[in-house]
Amino acid sequence: MVSVINTVDTSHEDMIHDAQMDYYGTRLATCSSDRSVKIFDVRNGGQILIADLRGHEGPVWQVAWAHPMYGNILASCSYDRKVIIWKEENGTWEKTYEYTGHDSSVNSVCWAPHDYGLLLACGSSDGAISLLSYGGEGQWEVKKINNAHTIGCNAVSWAPAVVPGSLVDQPSGQKPNYIKKFASGGCDNLIKLWKEEEDGQWKEDQKLEAHSDWVRDVAWAPSIGLPTSTIASCSQDGRVFIWTCDDASGNTWSPRLLHKFNDVVWHVSWSITANILAVSGGDNKVTLWKESVDGQWMCISDVNKGQGSVSAITEGQQNEQ
Amino acid sequence: MEELDGEPTLTLIPGINSKKRQMCFDWGPGEMLVCETLFKKKEKEEKVLGCPFIYIVRKDIDVYSRILRKLFNESHSIFVGLQRIEEESAGKSRKAQLVRVSKNYRSVIRACMEEMHQVAIAAQDPVCGRQYSSQVSILSAMELIWNLCEILFIEVAPAGPLLLHLLDWVRLHVCEMDGLSADVLGSENPNKHENFWNLVTLFVLQGHLDEARQMLSKEADANPASASMCRVLGDLMRTMPILSVMLGDDNALLEQKELLSNWYHFLVTRLLYSHPTVKPIELHFYAQSSLDLFLGGDSGPEPLDNILMAAFEFDIHQVIKECSIALSNWWFVAHLTDLLDHCKLLHSHNLYFGSNMREFLLLEYASGLFAHHSLWQLGVDYFDHCPELGRVYLELHIERIPLNTEQKALKVLRICERRQMTEQVRSICKILAMKAVCNNRLGSALSWSIRAKDAAFATLVSDRFLKDYCERGSFSDLDLIDNLGPAMMLSDRLTFLGKYREFHRLYGEKRFLDAASLLLSLMTSQIAPRSFWMTLLTDALPLLEQKQVIFSAEQTYELMQCLEDLTTGRPEPRDLEGQRPQDDDIETTKVEMLRLALARNLARAIVKEGTLEGS
Repeated sequence: MVSVINTVDTSHEDMIHDAQMDYYGTRLATCSSDRSVKIFDVRNGGQILIADLRGHEGPVWQVAWAHPMYGNILASCSYDRKVIIWKEENGTWEKTYEYTGHDSSVNSVCWAPHDYGLLLACGSSDGAISLLSYGGEGQWEVKKINNAHTIGCNAVSWAPAVVPGSLVDQPSGQKPNYIKKFASGGCDNLIKLWKEEEDGQWKEDQKLEAHSDWVRDVAWAPSIGLPTSTIASCSQDGRVFIWTCDDASGNTWSPRLLHKFNDVVWHVSWSITANILAVSGGDNKVTLWKESVDGQWMCISDVNKGQGSVSAITEGQQNEQ
Repeated sequence: MEELDGEPTLTLIPGINSKKRQMCFDWGPGEMLVCETLFKKKEKEEKVLGCPFIYIVRKDIDVYSRILRKLFNESHSIFVGLQRIEEESAGKSRKAQLVRVSKNYRSVIRACMEEMHQVAIAAQDPVCGRQYSSQVSILSAMELIWNLCEILFIEVAPAGPLLLHLLDWVRLHVCEMDGLSADVLGSENPNKHENFWNLVTLFVLQGHLDEARQMLSKEADANPASASMCRVLGDLMRTMPILSVMLGDDNALLEQKELLSNWYHFLVTRLLYSHPTVKPIELHFYAQSSLDLFLGGDSGPEPLDNILMAAFEFDIHQVIKECSIALSNWWFVAHLTDLLDHCKLLHSHNLYFGSNMREFLLLEYASGLFAHHSLWQLGVDYFDHCPELGRVYLELHIERIPLNTEQKALKVLRICERRQMTEQVRSICKILAMKAVCNNRLGSALSWSIRAKDAAFATLVSDRFLKDYCERGSFSDLDLIDNLGPAMMLSDRLTFLGKYREFHRLYGEKRFLDAASLLLSLMTSQIAPRSFWMTLLTDALPLLEQKQVIFSAEQTYELMQCLEDLTTGRPEPRDLEGQRPQDDDIETTKVEMLRLALARNLARAIVKEGTLEGS
């Protein structure tokens, strides 16, 4: 049964654009056109406003929580071309870094796997992607990929960390050689995969073409230890594709159409064990999709906005044979 | 791309019904967030007051029911016990073991049902009461299905005993008789009771012929006119097994529809009087016709009917599929499938992502448990028994457990360490170290960094310790620092911290010579950070001013060298923030004092070393 277990009144004075749970599901960050970022403690069905962060000068589009091993850190990006990183110090939330290197709206921020350190990717309407990396003692290093997507970049998503070779205990201080990768989606209808080279520069590794209109969101699925990699993408063209790559070198990606919706699809997101994909479309619905035995994707649930009381019908769970 | 059999379920979220808005969402570790939004990214001129609410939506809220939790807890022990049943035991003894396990599961369901029934009756609020009652019906249906599966798939009763088992099954689940029987037999004049003949019929329908005969003999006693008929009937009943059917006529049976209450009761009674030696493979013929006759085109089969029918058809996969659809949580199908798998009844269908049905269901069930603040511990065992994906699912879920207390954190760590999940251990220790630093618990932070083998963080915490010492003149968490042992080697700064504390200890124990050598070595071996040298040299002062000569001439030369190194290297970019003119003065004074003390010591040392012992 699906039920609403908590309702948080954010008191945002304008449209909410993003809401993100922290790692443990105990805190909620929201951001809005009212230019604020708010943080709530939502444990045990309650809601306590912890912080109301002001600093952006335009609608804030996305927020992203960093891994808790770095402390309580939140990134936000906005129409005002800024990326702000907020940190909780001694019980209060403060701005710890502000990045103003983009020429127009920053649309998406995504933290890399914690194994890479504190590393943030930002996609902007100026077509560039910047990578902000924390070097210690308040210093952030910036790398920029200019013209990543013509017209603009709408989404960025990191690949899960996979250590090549064995996972034997590394002696302290020695970092294993991760191959850092992320995916981006843009107004050129393309999904691009980026890889960090040995010299530290970022290079375009793959171009995935299938959409006929702006790519609105990309989501790289968490790894469950199988050799396949999976990426979900959605677009203005109403289509959602599931891309899979079977070989270890990561060279051949094949798309499979999940569904063609009747309206723009804005957002796709994987559950933490990557077994369910949630898709949010222009038709006021969030649909949940699951893969079945023969590789077909099935819609298992519809979450719809509407009036009246919550009614939850016994959920039809697809059972694979 | 295909749709599920039947429409996907729709969940409506209350909110302002605006046709122009969309829904934004995010996954939490165990739940989903949804809120209203407008995705088109444009800066609008006017403020549009949308719905400011964020809804947190969750599946599997059954884990939060107190009574069901008992079900989860107890079935967990049965599950774990089942996994450990020896593979070697085969044949009859193994079958007996499996039947026992099945009965255990059923008794747990019944216990839960009982408790919930009590709560339903006692409920003050009628809505609550109805909810509990419906939960009781669901549990009752689950037990009904499980029982049938036990008879058909696990017990695998052959013809003959099969019917007896089915008879027991029906008797167990049709409760009306107890009520009716108490009603009639408890009344003053049972024979005159309006339901007397209904009860006799019911006894016959359920094969309780002795009871039926008793009632008839009472009737014979009370009503001499019908005595002969009753005697004949009674005799017939007594010798029934030989004489065969009394009520073999289906139509006659159907007329008793109300007393029969459902088609499977009808089925079993039918079999009892017409085909008592029914074979298992013949069951589904009779089942299907019983269902059709009983429903008689009035209504279609309900989900429960479909499940039972699938069982009579020995289509295990269909049973599981139908149960998954009809029931709201994975508990039932996960445990039943696991048991059937142990009976070697499931074909190993390989699912696309490399798992199989048993594992798929267990993974789903266990994932649901992780949403709960204490039931997650049960989930760990289930993941352990999923050979393909159990480990990675555990890794992904266990990192998301909030570590609100030290106790919980240690529990989680123990689980990870026992399974050699080193990445998770390291990650959790780092999280705890960071939390400790933020709360100024330096000792805790240090021990977590050591456990995480995180050299960088250990350095950071050591620096904090040293800073604290400079500010306050004393160390916190002495126990920890004193007993670092080999962990000291994790980072240079940590080693320095440990050795520096050792210096203080030696000094406290008045082992001045050892303390002095240690102090000097800290500088000469470059373990001490340059920024700390002044403090170290200042620490040397009391040693230099003791009555006895502690630092040898050679050592004094080295100290002087250190001081010179420090002072000549002075034109460094100054940290302008903290430096005030007075600081400069203090520094200069210190240096002067040191130079003086060192010179004096040098003199005394030279004299001492040049003098023969005893003179």
